[in-house]
Amino acid sequence: MVNLPATPADLIPFLFAVITSHTFIQIILFPGFIHVTLVTAFLTWYERKIIARIQLRIGPLYAGGPGGILQPIADGVKLIFKEVMIPYKADKPLFLAIPLALVVMAALPFAVIPFGQNWVIANLDVGLVFVFAMISLFPLMILIFAWASNSKYPFLGGLRSLFQQVAYEIPMWISALSIVMLAGSLSLVDIVNAQARIWFIIPAFLSFIVFFISVMAELERLPFDLPTAEPELVAGWFTESSGAIFMLQFLALYMKMYLMSSLVTVLFLGGWWGPAFLPQPVWFIIKTLIVATFIIIPRAVFARIRVDMLIRIGWTRLLIVALVNVFLTVLLITSGLTAILGM
Amino acid sequence: MEIAIPPDLVFVILAAVTLIAAVLALQAKELIYGAIALGISFIGIAGFFVFLDAPYLAMLQIAVYVGAVVVLILFTIMLVRREQSDELLDRPEGGQGAVGLWLAGLLAVAIAGVAALAGPNLPAAPPAGNLPVSSLGLVLAAEYPIPLVILALLISAALLGALVLAKVEK
Amino acid sequence: MALNPWLTVIIWAIVVIALTGPMLTLPMFWSRRKPDPFRDMPFESGQVPQGEARHRLVMQYYPYLLMFVAFDVVGMFLFAWGMSFTKIPLYASFPVLLFLFLLAAPLGYALHLALRRENW
Repeated sequence: MVNLPATPADLIPFLFAVITSHTFIQIILFPGFIHVTLVTAFLTWYERKIIARIQLRIGPLYAGGPGGILQPIADGVKLIFKEVMIPYKADKPLFLAIPLALVVMAALPFAVIPFGQNWVIANLDVGLVFVFAMISLFPLMILIFAWASNSKYPFLGGLRSLFQQVAYEIPMWISALSIVMLAGSLSLVDIVNAQARIWFIIPAFLSFIVFFISVMAELERLPFDLPTAEPELVAGWFTESSGAIFMLQFLALYMKMYLMSSLVTVLFLGGWWGPAFLPQPVWFIIKTLIVATFIIIPRAVFARIRVDMLIRIGWTRLLIVALVNVFLTVLLITSGLTAILGM
Repeated sequence: MEIAIPPDLVFVILAAVTLIAAVLALQAKELIYGAIALGISFIGIAGFFVFLDAPYLAMLQIAVYVGAVVVLILFTIMLVRREQSDELLDRPEGGQGAVGLWLAGLLAVAIAGVAALAGPNLPAAPPAGNLPVSSLGLVLAAEYPIPLVILALLISAALLGALVLAKVEK
Repeated sequence: MALNPWLTVIIWAIVVIALTGPMLTLPMFWSRRKPDPFRDMPFESGQVPQGEARHRLVMQYYPYLLMFVAFDVVGMFLFAWGMSFTKIPLYASFPVLLFLFLLAAPLGYALHLALRRENW
């Protein structure tokens, strides 16, 4: 219990109490900012390394550290010192503000992701819907950025991002619905606690498949990377970005990749649960990196599909499978099978 | 660590954000800016819902209104938008703005008067039952089954109508 | 630790803005900023940009967008029901199942249209 400082002399003990408080340490260090940015930087290196291995290359090597693991730092330093080029017809305030908003939108949901029993910044009782609400703002921001850059290729990319959201978002929600029914809560901590005995990937396997495909579309990963399709749209919605703007967009994209991998871990792979010889957050991060690996690999394997194909798959395949899975879950719970399994 | 935040301050900040964004949404010269301001105004309303202990409604507000309705508005703006259309938009003339302001001021005075006259005599609001979010479905399915079905009919009708209109338009 | 979780979320947002904002604003100070009409041209495969970039759209996929808005609302209602599915008696879930069944009609009609027409 710390009171707000009344006199200047109280200020130093007050600041000390704030800095050493549990919440502050969580926000800055572990599930918070430093951890998120470090893992995000690691993911950019990890992706390049995996793609290189699949294509029989070596990948980044010379930036220092084992296997060139310091490459993201080199990239960051390079981008931060580059000139920010703004197209002359662009809408300047929006062009500069949207990349920052993207990073904030990608970072906000980390507040509710539980990295361990007590390692969560804020255990909201609407955690899952909070994550969905925040990531549903992404295509809107991308469209506004594309409009602000006033150039043809970004505009096409932004529109595709919007169509992509139309295709994947409803199947994603409906497939998460069966998890909510099994766990009986929207709080991510409760959802993980409900998986202490059996991971939800087993009773809700169909929903896992739908959710994973939707996550791939959400992250614009390769069978679904329409908004940034390189052979068609140069670089999609970030054709005109350079320097710091590009760095923030890149950071937001990979932060979102980490976020969605950890969401898959929370919903289907039992979150922090694992044998007790490793601490809970370690299990969580291991599982998340495995999910991220399966999100990265298709980039080197699959070809891109078209927009109309994506929308048709979303509404006629994924949505129907997700709805069927909701009815299966209803049957599963009413037949008492979940009680037998000890969930 | 207990930090008490004055509720009035939160209310004033949220009200200011919502109202200013709403006025900007009406006054924006560029329609896209209007749509963005509308989104910010919706987020302000979501803030009110959080403030009033209705976090689920707040998330619904953000996901449905900002994530879908504003997207629909933006898409429609881009659908009908032409560069020359800016001059065609009729700006409200000075007289209209003055009348609007006068009416708004009248309404504000009326509300303040009613609040000042009747406020002290009103019975205290019943305490909000501290319902957890997970009881929302309980209430919805157990107490409001008929409105739920009517809602389904309404959404179905709206969707079918929209589809038929969009089909004729092609 | 009696901090309201929403307050913690707001502090988290402020921390993120405070720590990523400099990544955007600081390069403005030291990076070269020299306007060049040719370099600042929007990229159009090396050609001089022609016409309006923010062109008018065709009305493609618009019905899907309408369906998306409607099913967003439906999804939110279903989440509210799904949270308490195990806590309510089964007969209380029948209105929700009727809700889904009623929505199957416009969905079926829309998909019928979508699959019959080629470029929807």
